[in-house]
Amino acid sequence: MKEILRITIGLTVSCLIAALIMGTVLTFTERAKEENERRDVQNTMLALLGYSGSRPAPADLELMPVYRYIVDKKGVKYLGYMIPVKKDGKTGCTLLLIDLSGKMKSRHDLELTPDEATEASARDAAMTSVLKPPTVFTYADSFIIAMLGGKRQAYLIPGEFPGFKTFIKVMLALDPTFTIKGLDIMEQEEDPGLGGEIIQEYFKNQFIDKPYKKVKNLKVVKKPLPVEYRRYLEKSKWKKGMFSPEQIAEIRHKYEDADIYALTGATISSRSVTTGIRNMVKKFAYRTQILDHVIARQKIPAAF
Amino acid sequence: MRHIERQKIFLLGAAILMVLISLAGCKTQHRFVDKTAFKGSHDIVLTFAAPVDADWARDASNYRVCEKPDPDIRLDIAGIHLSADRRIVDLHFQEALNQGQPHVVTLHNIMSEGKSLGDETVNVKKLYLGFLFSILIGAMLIHNFVFTKYLGLCVFFGTSQKKTTAVGMGITFTLVIVASAMMSWALYQFVLKPYHLNFLQIIVFIGLVSLSVQAVDTVLRKINPALFKAFGVYLVLVIANCIILAVPLILADNEYNAWESLMLALGAGLGFLIALFLMSSVRERLELANVPPTYRGLPIAFVVAGLFALAFLGFSGMSIF
Amino acid sequence: MVSTKTPSQLVLNGLLNENPIFRLALSMCPAVGISTTVMNGLMLGIAVLFVQVFSSCTIALIKDYIHPRIRIPTYTLTIATWVTVIDLVLSAYAPVAYKAMGIFIKLIVAFAIITMRLEVFACKNSVNKSFWDGIGMGLGFMFGMVALGFVRELLGMGTLLGYDVLGFRPLLFFALPLAGFFCVGFMMAAFNYIEIVFNRMKKKTG
Repeated sequence: MKEILRITIGLTVSCLIAALIMGTVLTFTERAKEENERRDVQNTMLALLGYSGSRPAPADLELMPVYRYIVDKKGVKYLGYMIPVKKDGKTGCTLLLIDLSGKMKSRHDLELTPDEATEASARDAAMTSVLKPPTVFTYADSFIIAMLGGKRQAYLIPGEFPGFKTFIKVMLALDPTFTIKGLDIMEQEEDPGLGGEIIQEYFKNQFIDKPYKKVKNLKVVKKPLPVEYRRYLEKSKWKKGMFSPEQIAEIRHKYEDADIYALTGATISSRSVTTGIRNMVKKFAYRTQILDHVIARQKIPAAF
Repeated sequence: MRHIERQKIFLLGAAILMVLISLAGCKTQHRFVDKTAFKGSHDIVLTFAAPVDADWARDASNYRVCEKPDPDIRLDIAGIHLSADRRIVDLHFQEALNQGQPHVVTLHNIMSEGKSLGDETVNVKKLYLGFLFSILIGAMLIHNFVFTKYLGLCVFFGTSQKKTTAVGMGITFTLVIVASAMMSWALYQFVLKPYHLNFLQIIVFIGLVSLSVQAVDTVLRKINPALFKAFGVYLVLVIANCIILAVPLILADNEYNAWESLMLALGAGLGFLIALFLMSSVRERLELANVPPTYRGLPIAFVVAGLFALAFLGFSGMSIF
Repeated sequence: MVSTKTPSQLVLNGLLNENPIFRLALSMCPAVGISTTVMNGLMLGIAVLFVQVFSSCTIALIKDYIHPRIRIPTYTLTIATWVTVIDLVLSAYAPVAYKAMGIFIKLIVAFAIITMRLEVFACKNSVNKSFWDGIGMGLGFMFGMVALGFVRELLGMGTLLGYDVLGFRPLLFFALPLAGFFCVGFMMAAFNYIEIVFNRMKKKTG
């Protein structure tokens, strides 16, 4: 009896000590971890917009987030957009409820600043205070509008879609006419050397500068990549004087309306990425056009 | 007297039955759409309880199809085919449907035999059983823990020398992993997640593994001593197996529910059993073959395992359902 | 039994005689799966080194207080604590390395090598000796991983630590995780061969 008691006490004490140690380490490291993640995303976004260490972002670059929710009011579904608005010289947040046919249903000003809105819990609290039960809402996604000097410079949209193996997470940069300006593959678990090649420049950069009207019907062709196109795509390997500005414009124009050349031995991965990006851009363009239409008609003082 | 009582009871029973039938009948009248299903990669098939009017059925504006998470994006219907008995409608879409997401079909003002039956909203999704089955096969073959994920190798090479040991180890392992996976799932859902104790995952899961091993040990000893004598010695080895820790970690990461966790654990255990069986069959033969001295024992076993892994690579990317 | 080796002998022991991967044939899961590049091998090797050293020292410190019946759970608890600590620290301060190593960090708990070493060595020897033995084992593991990673990265991707050495890809096969099986098998055979030659030479001179 005494033995069992001693054993149990010993085990419990050791478990408690272990949990204590881990808890302390957690409190110290959690903050740093979240900082890391935030910085990662920030750097990816700036890189997509074309800024890096050697070309830092200008001071008047603003990144405005817009959050999209699906609101269910007694069985009828609405889209809820939480957007930053200008009010008396300051920026606040407002919630727009748009019905499924694109007309605004209602507008609610929120007691929330855009900085506070980056926390999901703060957003949910603000939403609950204006959307009383039995209305329910679920978070759908968000995107960022990059403003330079008060004008829209680009849209940054994150997305996730199934690949050959598991999921592929990307971030797209679109210009105001929905032409693809940048693509970053953030997470993928494809086969190294085969599907994993989607992160290589000669595949990724094919999507850049494709206009919206081509992206809507973007497909994959199983043809070999032309040599001049490949050299043009591998921007990091450009040597001085390799391409004159006219040549660059010429090649870009030539392949603007081309379909995506598939990766050797990774057709399915190529197709997954192409279909994923195509759907992302189509849905985004459709929704943004409706949102802009509503903002214009209702004369909402949006900060973008 | 008895005659009248029996008649009364009979009448009462018949009355209750009629009420139930009419109630049930009322229910089916509200659900006019009997069945919904995906067909091929571009079609949705709706089966109605009674024939519908041809004009109504062929008008694409009467249908509103969208994916459940995107209720504002209406999918374009490219063509509609109505069956001869007017009870099956086949909606054809130009683009391949994303069958991983459930779709919502709203039927507007259904017209059947001249009468309007109002609106109805139905869901179209793939068989849940299919999804469960795909997790099972996935864990068994496509993501085989030994040959595709390279876990549990120490125990794998240690016990794959003879068929009997291999099979014994495999079965014991499957038992323990199912038990511990279910317990891990329960603890994760009800204790770790609500209280934000995720960093205690490792300790908790491995504690549960020890508990399961102990439990299986005791149970086996009492229920079937003969079986215990055969397999008992492998129980201790199970603890040092990477897979037994990997399965709870995966199901916590993917947020599987109870059935899916069960399928994952079963698949992992059976996959391990298959791997062990295949390996032991080859190694028994290898004992009799003329292997160069430097390669005898483990090195050649590794090369064989590599060949198996190559073969299993053929399963990669397969998706059923 | 209590070891009579000096610290340097302990370290060398871990590196060659009782190299965990190639001689003791323990902890092969990461050797096969993760050693695709030198960097990966290095990172995991360092992580295992830390866990091994810390666990060995902890167990050697408290070995007198452990009840013999709950030996194994105590080892597991110690290892799990240190692994969680390293997991948290890495994810906060070295996110790139953390992403590469993913699930394997959490699995260090189940590495037989660490438990085995605690059982065989740490619970019977002083803190000092356990420390050096831990270093030896950790270094041996790291050596094995780096050697594998070297071969696989060079032959598979033509790079070393990310730098393009060969400029082309000899055999993409080696970059695939499953080549680990073949590589470990060949390396083990190589070690066996060295041992046979060594013994033959010893017999000749002895």
